[in-house]
Amino acid sequence: MSSPGTRPAQPKERVAAKSRARVLEASGIRRAFSVGDRSLEILHGIDVDLSEGERVALVGASGAGKSTLLHVLGLLDRPDEGALRIAGVDPWRVPVTDRARLRNREIGFVFQFYHLLPELDAVENTLLPAMIDRSTWGYLSERRALRERAVAALERFGLGERLKHRPAQLSGGERQRVAIARALFQDPRILLADEPTGNLDTATGETVLELLLGEQERRGLAMILVTHDSRLSALCQRVLTMEDGVIQADSAHPIPL
Amino acid sequence: MYRSFLSWRYLFARRTNLIGVMGILVGVFALILILSIMTGFLAESRRVVRGSLSDVLIVPYQGDGPGTTIAADPGAILSTVRADPRVAGATGQLVWGGMITVEGKKLDPAMSSKLGQNPLVVQLVGVDVASVYRLAWSQVRAIVAAVGIRLPQLDFQDEYSATDLLPALTGALPRVDDPRAKVKNPLFPFARPERYRPRGRPKAAVVLGDQLFDGLELRVGQEIQIGTIVQDPVTGKWELSNREFVVAGTFRSGENESDQSLVYLDRRELADFLGGFRQYTHVLLRLHDYERDGRVVAAEVYETLLERGLLVENPSPRFPQVRTWEQFRGNTLGAIKNERVLMAIMLSLVLLVAGFTIFAILSMMVTEKRRDIGVLLALGATPRGLLDLFLMVAFWDALLGTIFGTLLGVWAALEIDNIERSLSSAFGVQIFDRSVYLFDYIPAIVEPIPVAMIVAGAFLCPLLFSTYPAWRAARLDPLEALRYE
Repeated sequence: MSSPGTRPAQPKERVAAKSRARVLEASGIRRAFSVGDRSLEILHGIDVDLSEGERVALVGASGAGKSTLLHVLGLLDRPDEGALRIAGVDPWRVPVTDRARLRNREIGFVFQFYHLLPELDAVENTLLPAMIDRSTWGYLSERRALRERAVAALERFGLGERLKHRPAQLSGGERQRVAIARALFQDPRILLADEPTGNLDTATGETVLELLLGEQERRGLAMILVTHDSRLSALCQRVLTMEDGVIQADSAHPIPL
Repeated sequence: MYRSFLSWRYLFARRTNLIGVMGILVGVFALILILSIMTGFLAESRRVVRGSLSDVLIVPYQGDGPGTTIAADPGAILSTVRADPRVAGATGQLVWGGMITVEGKKLDPAMSSKLGQNPLVVQLVGVDVASVYRLAWSQVRAIVAAVGIRLPQLDFQDEYSATDLLPALTGALPRVDDPRAKVKNPLFPFARPERYRPRGRPKAAVVLGDQLFDGLELRVGQEIQIGTIVQDPVTGKWELSNREFVVAGTFRSGENESDQSLVYLDRRELADFLGGFRQYTHVLLRLHDYERDGRVVAAEVYETLLERGLLVENPSPRFPQVRTWEQFRGNTLGAIKNERVLMAIMLSLVLLVAGFTIFAILSMMVTEKRRDIGVLLALGATPRGLLDLFLMVAFWDALLGTIFGTLLGVWAALEIDNIERSLSSAFGVQIFDRSVYLFDYIPAIVEPIPVAMIVAGAFLCPLLFSTYPAWRAARLDPLEALRYE
C-alpha cells in the first residue's frame, strides 16, 4: 500500500469508516510566495490528516489560503517547510516521475472551472489520466477495455448521449460530471475538490454534488472539499476552518475552550 | 501515450499549425525544385556543349613563317588519332565566319530582337558527311579498288562519329523538339531539296539552325547568299567573297546559340568557297569514356601530333591547341556550378524561415495552452512528458511538411517543362523565355542525395527551433497555469 506501484484497475469497493487507513498526513506545512522583493507567507504551519472514507470540508474566507493548501496537498505546489506523506510516501523525496505517478493514481482533482481539454470529447477527457499513465503500447493493448470503462462511467453519470461531445458543446453541469469521471478514472484514494459547484446554478450544483458525494461514499474516498457554502459543509463529517493561513477549527479535534 | 495522441490532436485543432506545415512544405518544395533545375541546367549544358564540341578539340596553330605551316588536309591528324583505342571517332571541321543575306528581304535590325542576336552574322561549319561530291568519289574509288589499287579511307560520315549533328538533324536529342524543317535524309543532309528549281547553275545545299531559319522566314529550297572574307593564297590579301546556296533543311540542338547562328555545309564545299586556302580549322574527337580519359588523351594527343610534325608549337600560346571541351568552355561550366552552390545556400534560408515559423507557432501554442498544461500536470504528466508533447507537435509539422513538400517538389521538378508551358498558356505570359537561355526547354534532374539532404534539413530545423518553446512548456508552474482563467 505504501508504494505507488501497479494496482489492479478495478474500482476498489472500500468499506467506509471501517479500515480508516491514513492516506494523507501533513504537518507543519508552510508556504510563502515572494511578492516583489518581500516574502508573503500564506500557510503558517498547517497540520492535517485524512483517512479513507473521510469527507472533509475546508471552509474560510477568500484569501485564507484554502486553495494554496489544496494545491500543496495535491502535489501541485511544493511546501517550503513541513512534512507530507501521501499513501505512506513522502512525495517530495521521490523522483519526479514517482511524484507524477502519485498524482496520477492516488489523487483526483475536481476544479471549479472543470478544466477539461477543449480538443477532446467527453470520453477522451475521461481517458486522459489513463493515457498519461500508460505507454503508447500499453494503452493501445488495453484500449478497448479502458474505453468501455470510460463509457460506463459517463453513462452512470447520465452522459450516455454526450460521449462524443466536446466540452464546448456541454453545459456546465455536464462538464463538471465529465471532470468528476476523469478524476475518478484512475481510482484514486484521495479526491480534492476546489469549489466543484462554485460555477453552477443551485439546481445543477445540487445534482453534481449529489453525484460527487455518492461516489465518494461508494468508493470510500478520502475527500477534501473546498467550499464557501455552509449547507455544503453541513454534509461533511468534518469541517476545517481556515483563517489567515492557519486552521482555526477542526470539528474532529475540537479545541477545548 | 497522451503525447502522440494530444500532439496529433493539437496539430489539427489549431489552424496555425497547418501554416507551419505549409511553411515547411513550401520550403522543401522550392528547394527541391530549384536545386533540381540548377542540376539539370548544369548537366544539360554539359551535354549540349559537348554535343556541339565533341569531347576533345584540336585547333591547330598555323603560323606564316617557314616550318610553321601544317598539312592542308586533316587526313594525317585523323588517322593518327584514330589509331588510339580510346578514341571512338574523329572528324575534321572547317569553321569560318559569314553573313547571310536573302534576296528581296530588308536588312531589318528588328530581326535581331526576334532572334536575340544579329541574324546576318553566322558561323559556317564545314563538316564531313555523305555528299554528292563524296558519293561520286566513292564510285571512282570503287572502280580503282576493283583494279587492286588501295586508296586511303574516304572521310564519309566522320562528323556523325564525333558529334551530335545527326540527332540534331533528326530531332532525336533528348528533350528537344523536332527541327521545324527536317532534311529529307539525315544521312545525306546536303542533298538538294526535291522541289528546288535553280535559277542557273544548281547551288550547294546548307542546313541551318531552326531558329535562324525561322528568324529569316526561310523556306526549304530557297536560295540565300552567304558572304565572307578570304585570303588570297598567292598574294595574301583579304578579299570579299560571296556565293549562293540553297536551304536544304534545319537542325535543332536545343542550344540556342547553335540554333541561332550555325550554318552547316559540306566541308569541301566550304573550302572551295573559301578559295582553298584552308581545308580544316578544327579536329574533333569523341572518346569511348570521356570522364576517365578526357584530360589524358588531350595531353597525349598533343604530344604525339607534335612529335610527328602534324602540329607546330605556337610561339605565343594563349590556349593549348588540344583541349577537352570542359577546358574549352571552362568558364561557363564553372559559373553554373558556383551558381548552384550559391542557390543552395540562399535557399537554405527558406528552411530557417520555416524554423522560425514553427518557433512562433509553438510559442503561441504554449501560451495558449497554459491551462491544458496545468491540467496535464495535475493529472500526473511529468515536465519531460510536456516537453515531448510539444516537440511532437513540431515533429508532426515537420513530418507532414517534409513529406508533402518532397512529393510536390519531386513531381514539379519532373514535370516542370509541362507545368511552365501550361501556366504560360493559361496566363498568356511567357514565364520562361526560352530564347535567352542556353536551352529552349527547362531541364531538371532530381538527384537523390541533395533531396535527402533537404529532407533531413527541413526535418531537423523545425525540431531544433521547437526545443525552446517546448522547454518553456515543461518549465511552466502548474499553479500559474491553472490560475490562468
